[in-house]
Amino acid sequence: MWEIISKALPQILEAGFKYTVPLTLISFFFGIILALFTALIRLTKNNGFFIVIKLFFRFYVWLFRSTPLLVQLFIVYFGLPYLKIKGIAPDGIKLDAFIAGVITFSLNTGAYASETIRAAISSVPRGQWEAAFSIGMTRKQTLKRIILPQALRVSVPPLANSFISLVKDTSLAASITIVEMFEVSQQIAAENYQPLLMYSLVAAVYAVFCTILSWGQGKLESRLGVKSNMKGSDN
Amino acid sequence: MELEEVSKSYGNHLVLKNINLDFQRGKVTVLVGPSGSGKSTILRSLNLLETPESGKCLFDDLIIDFTKGVNKKELAYVRQKTGMVFQSYNLFPHFSVLGNIIEGPTQVLKLDKKTAIENAKKILKKIGLESKINNYPEELSGGQAQRVAIARSLAMNPEYILLDEPTSALDPELELEVLQVLLQLARDGQSMVIVTHNMSFAQQVADKIVFVEDGDIIYDGEPEPFFKNNKNLRITKFLSSMVLK
Repeated sequence: MWEIISKALPQILEAGFKYTVPLTLISFFFGIILALFTALIRLTKNNGFFIVIKLFFRFYVWLFRSTPLLVQLFIVYFGLPYLKIKGIAPDGIKLDAFIAGVITFSLNTGAYASETIRAAISSVPRGQWEAAFSIGMTRKQTLKRIILPQALRVSVPPLANSFISLVKDTSLAASITIVEMFEVSQQIAAENYQPLLMYSLVAAVYAVFCTILSWGQGKLESRLGVKSNMKGSDN
Repeated sequence: MELEEVSKSYGNHLVLKNINLDFQRGKVTVLVGPSGSGKSTILRSLNLLETPESGKCLFDDLIIDFTKGVNKKELAYVRQKTGMVFQSYNLFPHFSVLGNIIEGPTQVLKLDKKTAIENAKKILKKIGLESKINNYPEELSGGQAQRVAIARSLAMNPEYILLDEPTSALDPELELEVLQVLLQLARDGQSMVIVTHNMSFAQQVADKIVFVEDGDIIYDGEPEPFFKNNKNLRITKFLSSMVLK
C-alpha cells in the first residue's frame, strides 16, 4: 500500500501546486475585488443612474447564487463556444480551460463574498459614519479610513470560509479537462484499480491544504484583533 | 450661527415646527426639554447630520437654504466650523486615542503628522489624559472615552462644539469628570451648544437656555428666570419632573 501511495502522492501534489493552488489563489483574488466592488455598488443610494447598475449587480449575485457551480463551469467552458456574436466573436467564445475555470470561480466567489462584505459594512454602527462626517471627512474618506477597516475584521471569518470552500470546489474543474488534483487521482485510480485508496489519498491532501488555511485564518484574526478591539463603540 | 424658520419631519411626524434660534460666539447655549422634543434634531441640523426640509441656516456670510438642499461646499464649510460630540462617544475602535484625535487634522485639514501629534498632545494634557495616548478606545472608561471624543472634536478647531447628551451614558462619578472638562472649556470662551438632562449642570454652564417641547421653542433666554420663578406651566412641570420628590 505504501508503495502505491508513495508513487501517487508526488503526482497528486504536483497537480495541486500546478493547478489547484493557482486556480484557487487567482480566482479568490479576482473574486474578492469583484465582491468589494459589487458590495459598494449595492450600498450606494438610489439615485437615477445607479438604479440600473444596482439592478444589474443584484441580478449577477442572484444568478450565481441560484445555479450550481458545476453547471456554471459547463456553460462557460462547453457552452460559450456556441455563442456566436457577429463582429465580436463570429466563431463563438472559446476559452482555455484554466481561464474558463478562473472566470467561473471568480464570478461565483464574487457573488457569495459580496454578500459577506455588504453585511460587514452594514454591521459597522451608523455612529461611526456620523463621527467621521462630523470631523469633516467625505464619504469616500470615511469608507476607506473608518468603515472598511472595521468591516474587514468582521468579514475575515466568513471570507476564510469562502476561501476554504473554493479550495475544495476547484475539484469540479476536473470536469472541464483541467488536470488538477482530483483529475490526477482519477487517472491514477483508473490505472492501478485502487479507487478507495486514491480518492482517500486526494481527500487527505485537500484536508491538509484546508487545515493550513484554517491555521492561517487564526493567525490573521489574532493579528487584526478580530476578537478584541471591536466592542463597545456604539452602546 | 443662526437657524431661521426651520422645519423637519420624519414621515408624518413634524419634529421641528418653524423654529428660529441664534447661537452666539463665545457663549454656551443649552437645549433642554423632554425626550423626543426635537432638541437633538436641532443639534444634528447644525452639523448637517440631519437636513431639515425648509428654513435657512446662517453661518457668517454663508446662507444655506434647506429647500434647495445642501451642496458639498456648504457641507464642508459647516462641518469645519462645528464639531459634534455624541452620547455614545463613537470613537474609532481601530485607532488609538492619538489616532482618533489626529485623524481629522491629517485627513481633512491635511496637517502634517508631526504638527497634528503635537496639537493632540496639548489637547490631551488639557483634559488630563496624556497617559492614555497610546491606549485603544475599548481600554478606556466611559468618562475617559467621552473626553477623548471631546478632544477629537477640539483638534479640528471648530468654532462651535455641539454636544448631544454627552453624559447620559455615564455613571454619576464619571459624568462629573466630563462636566468638569466642559466647564473649563466654557470658561475658556469655547462656543458650545449642549443638549443635556442634567439641570444643575445646565444652570451652571449656560449663558442661554432654550426649552424645546414638541418641536416648538417654548423658552429662549437667560438661565436665571428659566430656573427661578418660572410662570410657564409646561416648564415648571418639566423642571419638577427632573427632581426626585
